Amino acid sequence: MHELSIASAVVEKVLGFAQVRDIKKILSVRLAVGELSAVEPEQLRFCYTAITQQTAMEDSVLEIETVEVVVRCPRCSYRGPPKYWSDALSAAPIPTLECPTCGWAVEPAEGNDCAIKSVKFI
Amino acid sequence: MIQTIEASPDEIYDIELEHSLLEANATLARKNRALLDSYGVTAIDVMGAIGSGKTTLVGQLIKRLKDRFRVAVFNGDATTSNDADLIAGQGVPVVQIATVNGCHLDANLVGRALQKISLEGLRMILIENIGNLICPAEFPLGSKARVVVVSVTEGQYMVRKHPQMFLGANLVVVNKVDLAAAMDVNVDSLTRDVHRLKPDITVIPTSCRTGLGLEEVTATLLAA
Repeated sequence: MHELSIASAVVEKVLGFAQVRDIKKILSVRLAVGELSAVEPEQLRFCYTAITQQTAMEDSVLEIETVEVVVRCPRCSYRGPPKYWSDALSAAPIPTLECPTCGWAVEPAEGNDCAIKSVKFI
Repeated sequence: MIQTIEASPDEIYDIELEHSLLEANATLARKNRALLDSYGVTAIDVMGAIGSGKTTLVGQLIKRLKDRFRVAVFNGDATTSNDADLIAGQGVPVVQIATVNGCHLDANLVGRALQKISLEGLRMILIENIGNLICPAEFPLGSKARVVVVSVTEGQYMVRKHPQMFLGANLVVVNKVDLAAAMDVNVDSLTRDVHRLKPDITVIPTSCRTGLGLEEVTATLLAA
């Protein structure tokens, strides 16, 4: 349940931000969650709702946007979407670190972070 | 009672924040790494599911390393010290990191453990993470290599079920291969799954019971 750690980090950051600016009410928080980060949006929402109660973030909307994976290949210089493993019996195709063009091992360039993009408040 | 505040559009502020939630841990991990590097210590993060054989593997590696180098073990465990006691029996320094309810080690806890031992003259620290094949992937500790232990007793599809863990690993140990036939698990196919996710990663089949592959794991970690 690292979603609770992530939700706590969101709340800590946003409440700190609100306190400094004397903001009484947070309306929404937008997160960018990388496709490669092992964060489950539904669990994150559940934790967020639970720990924002009786704070300036109570009833605020948690918006989660997915950041798609971008990989770069050190051999053929490919940069773009990863090769997906689609018949792995999983609910969704799994992004892999195999270069879609030359088969070499690629590095993830985007899509492995989890960040607060913006905060809406009154 | 629920009170609702409705703001008119001109009252709403939208601030771009761009604050990474994983960065706090990543920063501490870099700090740990810099400290370890300054003493020439290689830290290895050993991850894997509950019951995959992490403690036994760490014990076997320590047996092969302790007479040649000064080594230490950090033992992540939610509550008990059983595993730490087992390793300490080999006469190497052990720090138990009790996470209580935490499901993974993080760079802060490892940083605190690093204060507990003398790094002078130390060659390697094996960090046994909490038994979990999901959460530790998000939390680098400052180690030079991340090892994932997956055992045949977990079934044929553990790799594709937990791709994130393997994508971030530097070495995969397929453990308990002496039980592969009994479990009806194909080790080659497990290995192929790992390479499908990450073509360049080293995969070593092991058995802590027969000793198969343990020298190779030791040599790979020493070269990390």
